Amino acid sequence: DEVLHVVPETFQQVQHLQLLCSTFMLDLRKPLLPEDIRAGEDLHIRVPAPLEQEVKNSLDQHMISYRVLIPDVQKLVDQSMPRERSSNRQVSGGYVYTKYHPMEEIYQWMTQIQKNNSELVTQHILGKTFEGRTMYYLQISQPSNKPKKIIWMDCGIHAREWISPAFCQWFVKEILQNYNTDPKISRFLQNLDLYVLPVLNIDGYIYSWEKDRLWRKSRSPYENGTCYGTDLNRNFNSSWGSVGVSFNCSSDVFCGSGPESEPETKAVAQFIKSKKSDILCYLTIHSYGQLILTPYGSTTKPPSNNEELMQVAKEAAAALTGKYGTSYRVGSTALILYNNSGSSRDWAHMIGIPLSYTFELRDTGTHGFVLPPDQIQPTCEETM
Amino acid sequence: RAMELPPGHFPAARAAAAALGYLRYLRGGPGRGLHLRELRRARRQDIDDVGHKYYLELELEDVLDKDSTVSCTAEVLYHLGSKSSAPDVQVTVQGELRSTEQADKEFYNRIRSLEKELVAENIPDSHGNVPPELEPIHLLAWVASGYVIWQNSTENTKLHLAQVKHVKQVKRSDEDLQFDFVVLLHEMVSQEVLPWQVTLLWHPQHGARVSQSRAAGAGS
Repeated sequence: DEVLHVVPETFQQVQHLQLLCSTFMLDLRKPLLPEDIRAGEDLHIRVPAPLEQEVKNSLDQHMISYRVLIPDVQKLVDQSMPRERSSNRQVSGGYVYTKYHPMEEIYQWMTQIQKNNSELVTQHILGKTFEGRTMYYLQISQPSNKPKKIIWMDCGIHAREWISPAFCQWFVKEILQNYNTDPKISRFLQNLDLYVLPVLNIDGYIYSWEKDRLWRKSRSPYENGTCYGTDLNRNFNSSWGSVGVSFNCSSDVFCGSGPESEPETKAVAQFIKSKKSDILCYLTIHSYGQLILTPYGSTTKPPSNNEELMQVAKEAAAALTGKYGTSYRVGSTALILYNNSGSSRDWAHMIGIPLSYTFELRDTGTHGFVLPPDQIQPTCEETM
Repeated sequence: RAMELPPGHFPAARAAAAALGYLRYLRGGPGRGLHLRELRRARRQDIDDVGHKYYLELELEDVLDKDSTVSCTAEVLYHLGSKSSAPDVQVTVQGELRSTEQADKEFYNRIRSLEKELVAENIPDSHGNVPPELEPIHLLAWVASGYVIWQNSTENTKLHLAQVKHVKQVKRSDEDLQFDFVVLLHEMVSQEVLPWQVTLLWHPQHGARVSQSRAAGAGS
């Protein structure tokens, strides 16, 4: 961030500066309020790094002269006080990202994240689970007057894949901690909004903490309450019920009583449908397998933009491997894993979202679903 | 007559999982756990009236010695039409696996000298942790589940050990150690978690053998 020293000369320039401050929500150091800006009087404004160029362009356009008072606010701050070793403090008050958290703590974390980062983060309701729990997603969006494309990421559609919600939380933390200092992230946020759903299958996740660590599905009852749970990733309206599913509730790939029969599926589908023309990329995070999977699961016929999908995925896999040497395979579910229908990723692509991927995080079977917490950090860092 | 298969696609990967199960049973122990680092090459041959035979080139690593890897070739023959017979597996390990003689002896003596029979559950625990003193038991569970995985693999399954639900040592009058395991196997295609009861006998010189195994009723 920079602090600029400006002296407006005319009333028009004053008006323009007032507009600039309110549009970009700039931090006025002197005077404190926009209405106190006067022609001929010193003005000090703090400009966040990602907006520096734009603000200066605007000043130039209106022939308002300025000079840089403080070229790097953070450096000054660092020099004047001992730097916190863990900068988690600013983002979310001491939350430990290198261990697994129960749902109650994840709910609290979301509230905290929004509170501590309210300039970028808003928390929204997506819907309710079968057992009546509220599904929240976080929107990370830099204020701007230009419309932005969206990247959607959901975690925890399968209860036992604990590394998945851990990754969503890590991801949010990384973005918020570094958007000021990492030019890649700040450029990212200038043009894109991030929507993150940390736990999609909340009922199942809680059940895997309290009753059965290896539970996969949701917790909706079938057959008169003698059988529970739909595989939410077989419940979407993408060739629903055609292959790689069971119509028997006791199966772990039970696809539900119909496409979008489950409230969790409906909540996600409804929202994504409503924003689909703005969504550039749909990501859904699973474990395990170390794979980046492209559409489709229901057929080996490649999607229309397969080359692009594969290209991007291969680059992602290469970047991932570059971090710790972890190797990821890339390809369609139908070729790499098995046939399945009703997956969220296939559905997202079928309704028109061009880039749609399933990530299967670490590992390849040594620990499987019970990935030890000392692998949370490297898994998240490489996937980032 | 053998067709080259993409090693990243599921038919080869499933055969490799069966081969790995067999390898763990054959060569694993309380001081050695083999893991598949990479499937380098796979071919398949359809043999009339017999079945499908896979030729695999694997790169293995010992989880207790991650820096070194060992190459291995495997042949996995799935019998035609037979749902209940195990695939025939043959393996050739190229090079030497790190010796576990010392660790095996120490483990053997430690268990033999226990006053109360060892009992443990949930290895790893829900968070993925294994207490260090239970790591050899964990690796013996890999041996036991390796047998079950090998015996129950088909071209339509891919089995991995998900968790050891329960283990109980049973003292014997002969020199073997006996462990009764309940292991949870994750089957990738159906996504089911299958509990199996397996009794494993082990001795530092004689190696491991499964004396009985059966699918357990669902009960957790």
